[in-house]
Amino acid sequence: MGSDCNRVSVLIVGAGPAGLATAIQLKTIRPQIDVCVIEKSSDLGNHNLSGAVLEAEPLHTLLDSAVPDWRDSDAAKDVLAKKVSKDNVMFFLGRKLSFNIFVVIKLAKMFGLGFGQMMHVGDYSVSISKLTKWMGQLAKDLGAEVLTGFAVEDIILDESANMATAVKLVDQGLDKEGNKQPNFVEGEIINADFVVLAEGCDGLLTERFVEKANLQRQSPPLYSVGVKELIKVTSEQYEKFGDGRVVHAMGYPIWTPVIGPGMFGGGIIYPGEKDHIAVGMIVGADWKYCDFNPQDALTNFKNHSFVKKFIDGGTVVEAGAKMIPEGGYYAIPRNPATSSIGKGNVMILGDSAGFVNMLKIKGLHNAIDSGIQAAKAIAETFDRPEQAASKYTNLIEQSNVAREMTSAMNFRQTIAKFGPLQGMPLSVFGGLLPKFKVENDHEAMTTARYRYKKNHEFDKDTFTAMAATEHREEQLSHLTILDPDICKTRCTPAFKSPCITFCPAGVYETVHEEVKPANPSNCLHCKTCQRKCPFDNIRWTAPEGTGGPHYRRM
Amino acid sequence: MSNYIVLVKQVPDVTQITDNAFDPETGTLIRTRLASVINELDAQALAFANQMKRDSDDKNGEVICLTMGPPMAEEVLRYGLARCADRVVLLTDRALGGADTVATANPLAFAIRKIVKEIFKNNSDYYVVCGMQSVDGDTAQVPPQITEELGLACIAYVTGAEFRNGRFEFTRIISGGSQVVAAKELPAVITVAKFEYPLFATFVATRRANKAEIIRWASDDIKATHIGVKGSKTSVIRVFPPGKSTRKCRQVTDAKSLAELLVESFKSGNGGTDDTPQAQAARYTLPGRRAENFDRSFEATKKEIEDYKILADTVKKLGISKVSRIDDAVKEKILAAAGEHFHKRALEDMLNGLQLTEPGFSGEVWVVAEHGGGAVHPATFELIGKARELADSLETKVGVCLAGFNAEPMAKDLIAAGADGIYIIDDKLLGEFDPTAHRKAVADAISTYWPQIVLYAATPQGRMLAPMVSYRVGCGLTADCTGLDIRDSSRRGQIAILLQTRPALGGNVMATICTKNSKSQMATARPGVMKKLPPDNSRKGKIIKHKVRLCEADTGLEIIKTELGTGDVNFNAEVIISGGKGMQNRDNYERLVGLLCEGLSKKLDTQVEKGASRAAVEQGFAERAHQVGQTGTSVAPKLYIALGISGAIQHMIGVANTETIIAVNSDPNAPILKQCDYYIVGSVEDTVPQLVAALTTEN
Repeated sequence: MGSDCNRVSVLIVGAGPAGLATAIQLKTIRPQIDVCVIEKSSDLGNHNLSGAVLEAEPLHTLLDSAVPDWRDSDAAKDVLAKKVSKDNVMFFLGRKLSFNIFVVIKLAKMFGLGFGQMMHVGDYSVSISKLTKWMGQLAKDLGAEVLTGFAVEDIILDESANMATAVKLVDQGLDKEGNKQPNFVEGEIINADFVVLAEGCDGLLTERFVEKANLQRQSPPLYSVGVKELIKVTSEQYEKFGDGRVVHAMGYPIWTPVIGPGMFGGGIIYPGEKDHIAVGMIVGADWKYCDFNPQDALTNFKNHSFVKKFIDGGTVVEAGAKMIPEGGYYAIPRNPATSSIGKGNVMILGDSAGFVNMLKIKGLHNAIDSGIQAAKAIAETFDRPEQAASKYTNLIEQSNVAREMTSAMNFRQTIAKFGPLQGMPLSVFGGLLPKFKVENDHEAMTTARYRYKKNHEFDKDTFTAMAATEHREEQLSHLTILDPDICKTRCTPAFKSPCITFCPAGVYETVHEEVKPANPSNCLHCKTCQRKCPFDNIRWTAPEGTGGPHYRRM
Repeated sequence: MSNYIVLVKQVPDVTQITDNAFDPETGTLIRTRLASVINELDAQALAFANQMKRDSDDKNGEVICLTMGPPMAEEVLRYGLARCADRVVLLTDRALGGADTVATANPLAFAIRKIVKEIFKNNSDYYVVCGMQSVDGDTAQVPPQITEELGLACIAYVTGAEFRNGRFEFTRIISGGSQVVAAKELPAVITVAKFEYPLFATFVATRRANKAEIIRWASDDIKATHIGVKGSKTSVIRVFPPGKSTRKCRQVTDAKSLAELLVESFKSGNGGTDDTPQAQAARYTLPGRRAENFDRSFEATKKEIEDYKILADTVKKLGISKVSRIDDAVKEKILAAAGEHFHKRALEDMLNGLQLTEPGFSGEVWVVAEHGGGAVHPATFELIGKARELADSLETKVGVCLAGFNAEPMAKDLIAAGADGIYIIDDKLLGEFDPTAHRKAVADAISTYWPQIVLYAATPQGRMLAPMVSYRVGCGLTADCTGLDIRDSSRRGQIAILLQTRPALGGNVMATICTKNSKSQMATARPGVMKKLPPDNSRKGKIIKHKVRLCEADTGLEIIKTELGTGDVNFNAEVIISGGKGMQNRDNYERLVGLLCEGLSKKLDTQVEKGASRAAVEQGFAERAHQVGQTGTSVAPKLYIALGISGAIQHMIGVANTETIIAVNSDPNAPILKQCDYYIVGSVEDTVPQLVAALTTEN
């Protein structure tokens, strides 16, 4: 390989389901193309967190062509062990009452209404960490290079700004003040013919590329914040819950009709590996309560009588937080000239593009599907990389991804605009509605207080410890407050510095009367801070490679 | 130009133990369920070698990583290649599996010889660089044993190197201080105790590493003399989960309650450790001394004790009172009566075992004394206490091997502590501790008198000396024992053998080990674990002068400078307050530890001493003399307060005998919280001032 080690044909940024699907598909149809996937986490799957209910079709399609006998492998049997056979959709009213409203969903489906898509029987309930690990191994087996522990901080474009020529890795070995230590390594430049951005939600490179290449979104990107815990329970509790069941719950503690609170989202209860149950809370990041934290909602949820019986007395063995891109169809970044999702030789996939279907509240299948399409696009345009993004977009438009994204077109925006009470019924009209102008999540913050705040104290330290997050302490902070004056003169007086509350890992603290990212090494890479700071005053960049959480069963 | 051979080892990641890594039945940690990583200290050793190469402006020197392990161990070699290694060698063969430290060091040394011959073309200008110890075995034995096999000088516990006048001067940790030394000649072995800046992988090197060829050698390629299970001199007979800590492990949420508990624990003197001793087993008695012929209540395992009890009952019922009466006919009868319990083969083994009454080993029980500045190290007295107990059971004498210069005045204290004979090796060249000279002296005495047991303190010095001596005299050695008992394993024909129990895998499991294929059973024991006897000045003992011929060539190191900690550290204080890495910087350490020291000494009217974890000392927060723990000083105050100390096993060993341990740590997962009596989860910066305020306002 000699001096060419810093050049690859296809560089995939991010070893998640989307990026790995690209690698697997590409190596299957064009084994001779050299494919390199780089990932910032120290091991495959460590930065992947999801519910997760997986609609299996795209994965099956991918694997059937790549590894025909995949079903017989131990990994397949482990990762895809649990098929959903029982689908509960609950509505919680207060701390004790619960109603199963699955029948409403069924009716909606009968009448062809949008949210009738929210059904999961026949899907798999999976650990996305394990899924990713498995897909990574398959990609390697097919000859792709999958390199973990390398964080990318920038994308380099040619003069026309239509094509990317390279990416730049993060500098390593700087101390807190930015001085070079003896082990300093300057961020390497990796040249590539194709760049696939599959970084997940709110991707660092994706957003830099959107800016540098002047891509546009019709509507601002909206996000949700998900927090999840995996709880070791007794065998009796696990059996009572059942390993083929998934529960989605709306209402308390994030939405109560009339009296509030009024937030979008809900709780989940999924089976994990034997004697483990996963509970999670997903809350639209347009919440308006300045003292709110999704973890408080999770604690309230866990103490609801319906949930508590399954997990009471259990121990949290793993925990984590992550954002979900919910802007949908209108928030997909596109080249304004050609509508391509990406530009030239750069393609944007999965959560980085925002391919989450909010009617199904699922995006994993679309991420994999987009990976397949990206691979096909590269294979077809291998001699004309400048056409890759257009080809990729064509393929996406013909795929199930586009069908789903169109059908869910206005759902989340309707709710953002009108609130869950009016928005949910309005969303029935789905695609008929015009595109709304909605505000960015961070603009939603008000001085209002979360009604159920005082119910339970949340132990963030333990939560962070269970995410097993780790960064080299002596490095430059990867979190920046752009203008400390805003914190002091505007945010703290009005909202009492919400970042201190909502950061799931307790990164922010007031030190000598100044709000600071005091514990950057606690960071879970969820990036909620850069989207929810009421004054858009925080920026997240990638820390040294291998830093971050160590999810294994999330 | 120097070449470097860096020894690396793949170990289970004991820092990330998930709940599903434990066997639900036995509670034992299952190694295969843990991720595999490079041993952290080996990663530091690699960076250290790279730094040496850079500092000496050496363009041509080659860095070679060597490991021994299963095929998957090549991952750690690729780790090396992705950073700075030029070539890598994997020693892998089924025949090499199941090895103890001797059967690990031996093939590694033979592989080094092969590397020197074939790759370095017999150029002897090279360093073997390795981590001081691995996190799984934690023995620190392999590097000194390799040194012994290769006949090189060894510089252990190195923390820095400076290239001066064409050679390296190394700074290393010694008990209670530090020392600057140089190797008299190359090659030499360096064991690294700490190097702050492990290397980052680069993208380019990683891609190259993944495609690079690995040199693979099998057992036949190196022709080592001690390999695998057969070449090992110790065997593990039992692995079990560590006993539940007897500490209270109670969380306190506010500084005021903690202040009250502090004062209360100090005044009541009723510490965290449970006072009821764990089922104090009866003192071992030799089979010939037991009242009953069939009494086998000192077997190594519970199961064997029970089996022998059933056998004894059966035999009694049959009216047999003497072992010699058991012939084939009687055997049949016994089988008929107790056949449901035993297979025929097992029964025959048991009966054969019953015929045995003579111990498998003979000779005295020895302690190798450690001393400095004319005083005996406290750990030596503890070992003599233990040796006394073992020797009484075995009906033999306690000998102490004392190597030094003008050391005879110390003999009196050793005798008072329980020794019967002091074997003095007096030589000018033994004045300062030089492992090469000392190991020669001690090994010579041992192979002259052949004691059946030799104990060393698991101090930096003992952990260096013991592996070299044991390797030299061809005996097995178990490191860092916390339990030493005489037991029988009658079925295997072993009577009165030493069972050596020690923690492994970072304290997550306990292992009981016994010696095999050796003339003497050797162990290092953790300071602070064994109990010394009250000194008895009326005791009489013999002094035996042992002559060993030593010359200048027997010393491997040139000692340039020794810095012992300033004498004003008083670890006999009733209260010790230690700061760790969590103190962030020296200012915080001095301010906060100082504040609390002052507050507590006023409140309790006693002396309060400052301590520090090794990490804090390395970071420069405190002087080396204040270091508490395995490589520092073991302490036993009434009250030990650990501020921002994670509680690595090496630290906790050093405070095991404390009455009450109190921890303040912001990490709720810090191991120390499971090994202390009271703790607050919170930052040291917030908690300490609150605590001091609570102490001063109370009453």
